[in-house]
Order: sequence, then structure tokens, then C-alpha cells
Amino acid sequence: RIMPVRWSRYNPSYLEPEAKTESYQKPLEELTEEEKKQMELKAVRPIKAAPSTLSSSVFSDPMISKFTNMMMKSGNKVLARSLMSQTLEAIKRKQLEKYHKAPENEKETIECNPYVIFHQALKNCQPIIGLSNITRGGKTYQVPVPLTDNRKRFLAMKWLITECRENKHRRTMMPEKLSQELLLAFNNEGPVIKRKHILHKMAEANRAYAHFRWW
Amino acid sequence: QLDRGCALHTAARDGLSSMSSQDVPAERPRAIFHTSESDPAKHTEQHEGRLYNIPLEEVKAVFPHGLPPRFQQQIQTFNEARVMVRRPALELLSYLKGSNLAHPAVRYLIYGERGTGKTMTLCHVVHYCSRQGWLVLHIPDAHLWVKNCKELLQSSYKKDRLDQPLQASAWLKNFKSSNERFLQEIKTQKRYMWGKQESTEKGRPLGEVVEQGLARVRSASDAVGVVLRELKQQSHRGSFRLLVAVDGVNALWGRTTLRKEDKSPVSPEELTLVHNLRKMVRNDWSGGAIVTTLSQTGSVFKCSSAYTPQELLGKEGFDTLDPFVPIPVPNYSPREFESCYGYYLERKWLQHEKAHTEDGKAELQFLSGSNPRQLDRLAGPL
Repeated sequence: RIMPVRWSRYNPSYLEPEAKTESYQKPLEELTEEEKKQMELKAVRPIKAAPSTLSSSVFSDPMISKFTNMMMKSGNKVLARSLMSQTLEAIKRKQLEKYHKAPENEKETIECNPYVIFHQALKNCQPIIGLSNITRGGKTYQVPVPLTDNRKRFLAMKWLITECRENKHRRTMMPEKLSQELLLAFNNEGPVIKRKHILHKMAEANRAYAHFRWW
Repeated sequence: QLDRGCALHTAARDGLSSMSSQDVPAERPRAIFHTSESDPAKHTEQHEGRLYNIPLEEVKAVFPHGLPPRFQQQIQTFNEARVMVRRPALELLSYLKGSNLAHPAVRYLIYGERGTGKTMTLCHVVHYCSRQGWLVLHIPDAHLWVKNCKELLQSSYKKDRLDQPLQASAWLKNFKSSNERFLQEIKTQKRYMWGKQESTEKGRPLGEVVEQGLARVRSASDAVGVVLRELKQQSHRGSFRLLVAVDGVNALWGRTTLRKEDKSPVSPEELTLVHNLRKMVRNDWSGGAIVTTLSQTGSVFKCSSAYTPQELLGKEGFDTLDPFVPIPVPNYSPREFESCYGYYLERKWLQHEKAHTEDGKAELQFLSGSNPRQLDRLAGPL
């Protein structure tokens, strides 16, 4: 008999697991009153099972994990994670080669850290305003609508991945395509930034329907 | 560049103790991991754990093939080739320096777990021998000759053997580019017929045999066999010293993934290249040495946790190679790990902010288990 697990709810008395190593390395004297109470509570209450994505590594990054999950197909996290690490390595190699060939005065402007490039590229791809379909009197209008942070991040990541999957040559590997796209987005060029601008222009063009929004 | 040299000669023997002292300026601790001694003949235990530089022109001349692909990528990214001097390599070099070339060739077998640096040790030894003026017969990976061969021709020399023109011609090209001057000096001792019309007379330089193999790709495997035979017969005279360096020697005994046209499996003896190489690895010649490496990574039909000579060579291979000098290659010692970590930091390979901290270093050491390949793979995305 298969037990349903995905939507199973924990009893409210269960506490979240703590992954950060710093909180366990503090000696007893440094803890404040609240932290002492929290420790005593943890000694008596049961704790939820830690999800497999929770990591105590100093190198783990939630945005990178989210992006890896979105790249994953049919649950193959191993492949998605290896593609992600190959992408970061490819970005680093390209930037380091540029760095070593550049003259002295330009060396500080070249960013070699793949994580900084990734975060900046995602930030550059995030749209400010989005469109949503609202039906009035039988006709559907595209109404400009503010987006939440989560939705913006999701759209940026989704656009990057679809751009790499669909609009490139069949034989190029994903790390190569992704690293190219991320570097273009870091410099505010490339097809993903163009798609963001098109969305902004459509929202600007449909300004007249903005009053249809009721939330 | 000058700083590196000075730091070596004034540094204490144990690099770690000088790193912990606070009065050493920030640039010096990095330079301790380098050594300006780029001649492997002068490497001693004092250089253990340090990285030495091979000039890029020399890399192209000595290693047209033979360096692991990830190391080649690293050379291109960092614009320099730095190889770490480790204990197994120093041991091998001391044996080679003290070996008597009048005696039959001694066989050295480099073995160890996956990713511990066997191929790099072999490359260090090859570099030493080419600097000393030996003739280096470097087969980069014997596994490439027993799997994934697109063309298999029936040999014209012996009816039941199979030729591999593509692999043979690729190897001949690389051999030619690394050993130009020897090929002009060594002369053939017999007349060789290539098919009905072409032949190479007695007394012609070996370079002509190589040209023949490259021009007529069909007879490339036979050309390789001729080259090996000539080198073996002439090495005892003493005009040149021969080093046979084979990576992945366990491919010569065992099974292949190749099939003949009637779908029956091919055993390694039926391949001309493997047959000739087996004759080379026997110790019935003098005037040189045979340095070989075991490799599980490219091998076929072998368990992934196998690393000992007994498991990988099988009974036949072990008996053939039997009196050999085993050289185990372990993971990085703490000092070598520090050296490698310092090198990555200095070359800006570790870009993550946390990688520069003590926590990051401890995590890298734990996750990689001080295994060189795992450390390289982990440090890639960081």
C-alpha cells in the first residue's frame, strides 16, 4: 500500500530543522534569553524531516538551487546540478581568459566571480511590470499589473532557460549556451533582455486598461 | 616573477610553519608553493609539494599527446603549465637516475585509486627523460586502441590480425613531432615491403618509415610495428636511451569492445598495435626503462572500485609484467593540499568569497577527501 507523502501535513508542534553550523558552535554563555528558550523547546518538541535540498555547506546558494530545480527534467537532479556546475565553470574560464589578456588598467573592470555574474544577470532580466489577462464584456484585455518578487525571479529564470533550450543550435551543450546567455544578460545585451523590454513596451502601450485591475 | 625564486631559497623546509607566522607579508605565503626549478633532474625532497613551471613551448614539444584533457584546459586558462612535484615521482626519478642501462629494462608500474595523479606522475617522468635526451615512446592511453575504433582493416602482413589505421596514424603524427631529431639519426636494419610496389631499403632513416605510415594510412599499423621493432633492437647499442611510457597498460590484456564483421568479439592479441606493444613491454631488451600506469577510468569491463595491479591486469597481464617495481600514488598529503589550494587562490581560480575562508578550505578538504581529481572538480564551479 502506498502512503501519500507529498501533501501530508505535519502536526503544528513539529519544529523546522536548523542547518547553519554557526548556531550550534556558539558556547552557552553567549546565548540570549530567547535563544536559550528556543534550545529548551527543541529538546522536547519533535523536528520535521530535513528536505534533501537543505544544506549546511558554506557554498550553497538558494538562487542557484532554485535555478537548478527549474533546469531539472523528470527528476534528474544529478544531471541538472552537474550542468549548473559546468556552466559556472565555463563562465569563470571565459572571464579569466579575458582577464589575463586584458591590459592592466582594464583588469579591475572584468568580473570573474561566476556567482556575482549569475546574480547580476538575473537581476537585469527581471521585469518590473507584467501583463495579465482580464475578461470584460466578452473580450480579453492584456492589463499591466505589478509583479511580486517571487514572480519576477521566476520569470527571469524561466526566460533564460527557454531561450537556451529553444533558440539555439541543436548540437551546442547546455553549459555553453547558458554561460553565453548569462554573460550577455550581465552586460544588459542579448535576447532575454530584449524580451523584458518588449514586455515593458506592451505594458506601456496598454496603459489605458490599467484601471481594469481591481487588486 | 622574481619574488617566486627568492621565496623558495629563503623559505624553511616546512612551508606550513612559515605560513602561520604573521610577519611574512601577504604575497610571500603564496610564492612558497612555487619553485623556480623547471628541470626535473634537479628536483629533490626539498621541492616536494611544490609546483614547477614547464614553459609553454616545451609543453607543445614534449607533450603533443599525453596530458589529461582537464589539465590541458587548465594550461589554457591560467596561461602556464604547473605540475606538482610529489613523492612517487621523486622515487621514480631516483630509480631512473641510478639505473644501469646495460642491464635489461626495468618495468615500473604506477598504480593507485581513481584520480590520485598517476598520469601526471608519468608526465613528470616523461618530461625528465626528454630533458635528459632520451627517446620517449609515449602512448597516451592504451584504452583508446581497444575501444571505439571506427575502422578495422584486415592486416596484410598476418592474415588473422586486425589493423587500426586511424589510431596508428594519429599516434605516428604525435610521435614524429616530439622525436624529430632521433628519427633522422636511427637507420633501419632490414628492407621492409609495404604492399607490392613500395619498400623502404636497409639503412634509410626511420623518419621515412614514419612518413610512409602517415602517407599510406592502410599500412600505418605496420609502420608502428616496424618503428617499435627497430627501436627495441637498436637500443642496446647505447647511441640513445629509450623510455617506453604507456598509460593504461591494463588495456593490453583483458577484453576489447570491438567486434569483427561477423559480430564475433575481438581479443587484444588480434590487434596489430596491441601485439607489437606487448612485445615492447617485455623486458628482453636493454638500454632504457619501461614506465607504465594502471588506469581504471578508461578501462572496459572492469569494476569501478578496482585499482590494484592484480585486479586490473588479470592473471595473464600480471604474469607477463611480473618482475616489476610497483609505485603506489596516494591522495594529497596535508602539505600538498595546502600547496594546491594556495595555487588555486593565487591564480584566482577559487572565486567564491567563502572559498577564501578557513571554513571553506576545511569543507573543500572534507568533500574531496584530499583526492586531486575531486578537488579539481569541486573547485571548478566555486
